[in-house]
Order: sequence, then structure tokens, then C-alpha cells
Amino acid sequence: MIELRNVSVSFDDQRVLDGVTFSLKRGEFVYLVGQTGAGKSSLMRLLYMDLMPENGDVRIAGYESRSITNRQIPHLRRRIGVVFQDFRLLEDRSVYDNIAFALYVTNTSRSDIKKKVLHALADVGLSHKRNHMPHELSGGEQQRVVIARALINEPVVLLADEPTGNLDPTSSAEIMDILTKINMRGTAIVMATHNYELVKRYPARIVQLKDGKLIEVDKAPGRVARSSP
Amino acid sequence: MQIRYILKEGFSGFDRAKLSMFASVFTVTASLLLLSLFSILLINANSVVESLRQKVEMEAFLDDQITAGQLADTRARIEGLEGVREVRYVSKEEAAAIFKEEFGEDINTVLNFNPLPASFKIALKDGYRTSVKAAMIYNEVKAIKGVDDIIYRKQLLEMIDHRAMMFLWVAFGIGVFIMLSSIVLVANTIRLAIYAKRKIIQTMKLIGATRGFIRTPFLLEGFIQGLLGGLIAAGIIFAVFRLLEGWLSMQLSDFVRVQPWWYAVIVGTGSVLGLLGSMISIRRFIGESVAN
Repeated sequence: MIELRNVSVSFDDQRVLDGVTFSLKRGEFVYLVGQTGAGKSSLMRLLYMDLMPENGDVRIAGYESRSITNRQIPHLRRRIGVVFQDFRLLEDRSVYDNIAFALYVTNTSRSDIKKKVLHALADVGLSHKRNHMPHELSGGEQQRVVIARALINEPVVLLADEPTGNLDPTSSAEIMDILTKINMRGTAIVMATHNYELVKRYPARIVQLKDGKLIEVDKAPGRVARSSP
Repeated sequence: MQIRYILKEGFSGFDRAKLSMFASVFTVTASLLLLSLFSILLINANSVVESLRQKVEMEAFLDDQITAGQLADTRARIEGLEGVREVRYVSKEEAAAIFKEEFGEDINTVLNFNPLPASFKIALKDGYRTSVKAAMIYNEVKAIKGVDDIIYRKQLLEMIDHRAMMFLWVAFGIGVFIMLSSIVLVANTIRLAIYAKRKIIQTMKLIGATRGFIRTPFLLEGFIQGLLGGLIAAGIIFAVFRLLEGWLSMQLSDFVRVQPWWYAVIVGTGSVLGLLGSMISIRRFIGESVAN
């Protein structure tokens, strides 16, 4: 479902990813670890095709980096959910409208939008804050809204780039619980992090980026072992 | 694409971003007022020039020995020339009467005879009151048999032509300058407003919104801002000219013509300015990487 073959990326003549090969199956959970600047975010950008590889090929959800057109990129992004450290909510509209936006873009009917958004809000426990503006929410609550939005179109994979980076341990644990629950339902998750505490507490497959190379650290730990390659 | 969503988003600036909405509308209004007042001034000046030109007519003096038959023939030939609007006969007696009116003395009593020749006053058509065309007509009339001499205000026409050309070029330059600064000003104001929303634009792209989906509400918003700015500018100009007319107690509209369709042009220009401004601005930000 996700496949990177011999992918290289450079910025200003500096090679960030050097011949990276990686694959992820449906329903898998993988941690992407590595130091700051190791290329975790670049790898994520490759996956939502904000960045194109110099060499090699990225395949995700039926799209290929070699052949995808600019017009197809929005359609790819509707099939993957993205969660960031800095939340990325639409600051100028309510919690409800933030989640509904992901459905507006897919031309969902109004009645369906209402049903789905209220369902998603209930899922992350924020039904009562649907009319709040993002800045009125705590960090943990904002991240839950982002997750609800990322999942509303039922993506095949959720990309989470340091989703707990700005959160306190309690909120981080809440987010991890939600991510685990989502994964249990069959959505694959790629989570970039350098919070080793979390990795230990919620064991899963781990890959590490170091000096531009991707190393398989732990192939099949814990409860998600059944879906490892 | 959902029309409801686009309309809601397009009008959302009134609620979500009042200050930048106000700034954009105000900029469009100010630019249009500047442009309109300049255009009205230009038309005003042009009408002064035109009224000066209206005064230019030729006078062809006739041979004293001319017979009635030749007179009719000469008149017909002058009337037949291109650019001649009207020919009016001034007899020797009328010329003497004009002389008396101008100098207060009867030329017949001063000289015991009337030396003033009969003449044709020749009015020219619009577009023929330029120094070049008048000179052509002058030569043609002069060649006609029975015409002794012909006079017209050659220097005045040459002066008007020369000044009018210079005036037109200067006005054209100023007009282009005002127009360009208006576009830059409006585009820049809208750009700042959109710049404030670039994070939002990036997030929308990340969620899978197509460029068209993101762009359309912004274009609608720009159009609404321009339309509003145009309506306000047209309203101000209408009110100002109404007031001026009252105060100056004269028919200003005769002198400075503000035709009804002018207001439509102002509103239309405003809408186009707003639309162009948002088009230019959104283009810049929509292509950016979503990871910035």
C-alpha cells in the first residue's frame, strides 16, 4: 500500500534521503524515528507528495510519484490523513467547520456532512466543543480535532508527523490511545516521533532514519505484530 | 463544487476578517475616486478646448464686381467642399452694420463709400477645425473664382492643436500612472489579506482541496470587495456633483458631463480591479509547498 523504492532526496546539494527502500502493508503501525534533521519530515512529504524524489519511486494508495499529475495530488491526499505537530487547523472557522471542510472538498451532501462530522466529533470526545474556535481549545483537544478531520474520509493510511510533539504527557497518552484505536479498526499509521517513552509504551514496528538511510530497528514487536511484513 | 460553500466562504470576510475587508474596499474606493476625478477633469479640459475650436470659422471675402449668378455659383462650390458645415452670406450692407456695431461709426459717412466687401462666413464640421484641415479648406476656397481673400484664426488653431497634443500626452501619462498605481495598490492590499491566510491555504491543500476549490472563494471575495469599492466611489462622485451643482447654482452637467453610464463604468472597473487583485495574489500563494 506504501512502497518506497531506492528513493533519494537532496536539499542544496545535501543528501537527506539516500536510496531509501520501505514498505507498509494495510493496517500496519510503524514508528519512524531519528534525530531532528534526519529526514523524517521529508519522508512524510514524499508520502503526501509535497516533495518528489530525485531518484526512485514512491507508491501510495494506488498513486505513483513518477506518473502522478498535479491534478491528482488533491485526490491522493483525500485518501491519506495527515496530522502535524503544529496541528494545522483552519484558524478562521469553528471545530465543526474544520472537520466538515474535508468533506466539502469531496462534494459530500449536506446531510451526510452533518452526520459524519457529528460522528467524528463523538469519536474524539469533542461533541460539546463543536462550535468553539481552534484557539479556544487546548493543544490536546486541537490535535483530536485534527485527527477527526484526517479520518473523516476514511483514509487507508494516517501520516502523523510528531503528533505529540507539542503536548504534555497526559494529552500525548490520549492521542496515542486514539491512534491505537484507529489502527485496530484497520487504518495503517506512520508516526514520526522522537519520543522513545511513547514508543516503549505503545510497541509497534520501528524504522529509523540515520545518515540518509532507513534501518529496520524492530520488525515485529508487541500487539501489531500480526500485520508486520 | 458546492455553490453554497463558495458563496458562504466568499462572503465570510465580512465576518472573519473585517479589517482586511475594510482595507481592500477602501483601497478600491480611493483608487477609483482618483481615477474618476482625473477622468472628469480631463473631459472638462477637453470640452474647454472644444468650445474654443467651435469659435473658429472662416470668412471668404468676395470680389466687388461679382454678379448675382457668380455669387450663387461660388456659394454652391464652397458648400460642396468636404468639411464645410454651413455657409452664411454677409452682404456689403451687413458688413457695414457690423462695422458700425464694432466701431460706433458709420463707414459710409467717414469715407463716403463702403469699402467693405461682401463675404461668406464658413462654419466647419466637427473634426475639421484643426490647423491642418483648416489649411486645406483655406486653399480650396481660395482657388474658387469670385473669392478675393480668406481669413481665419490660423494661429489660434495651431496653438490649440499644439497644446492639445501636449495636454493629451501628459494626461495619458498621468492616467496610465494612476491606473498602474491603482492596480498595484489594490493587488498589494489584497495580497496582504491573502498572505495572512497562507497557512490556511496550505492546510486546505493538505486536506485534499483542489486549487480551484481554494481559489474560487478568494476570487469571489475579491470581486465583492471591488464591487463594493466601486459602488461607494460611484456614490461619492454622484453626491459630490449633486452638491456642487446646488452650490454653484449652475448647470454643472453641461460643463462637466457625468453621464449615467459613467457610474456603471466605475462600478465595473472596481469589480475588475478586485478580481484582478485577488487573482494575482492567490496565484502566488497557492503554489507554495504545504510543509512551510
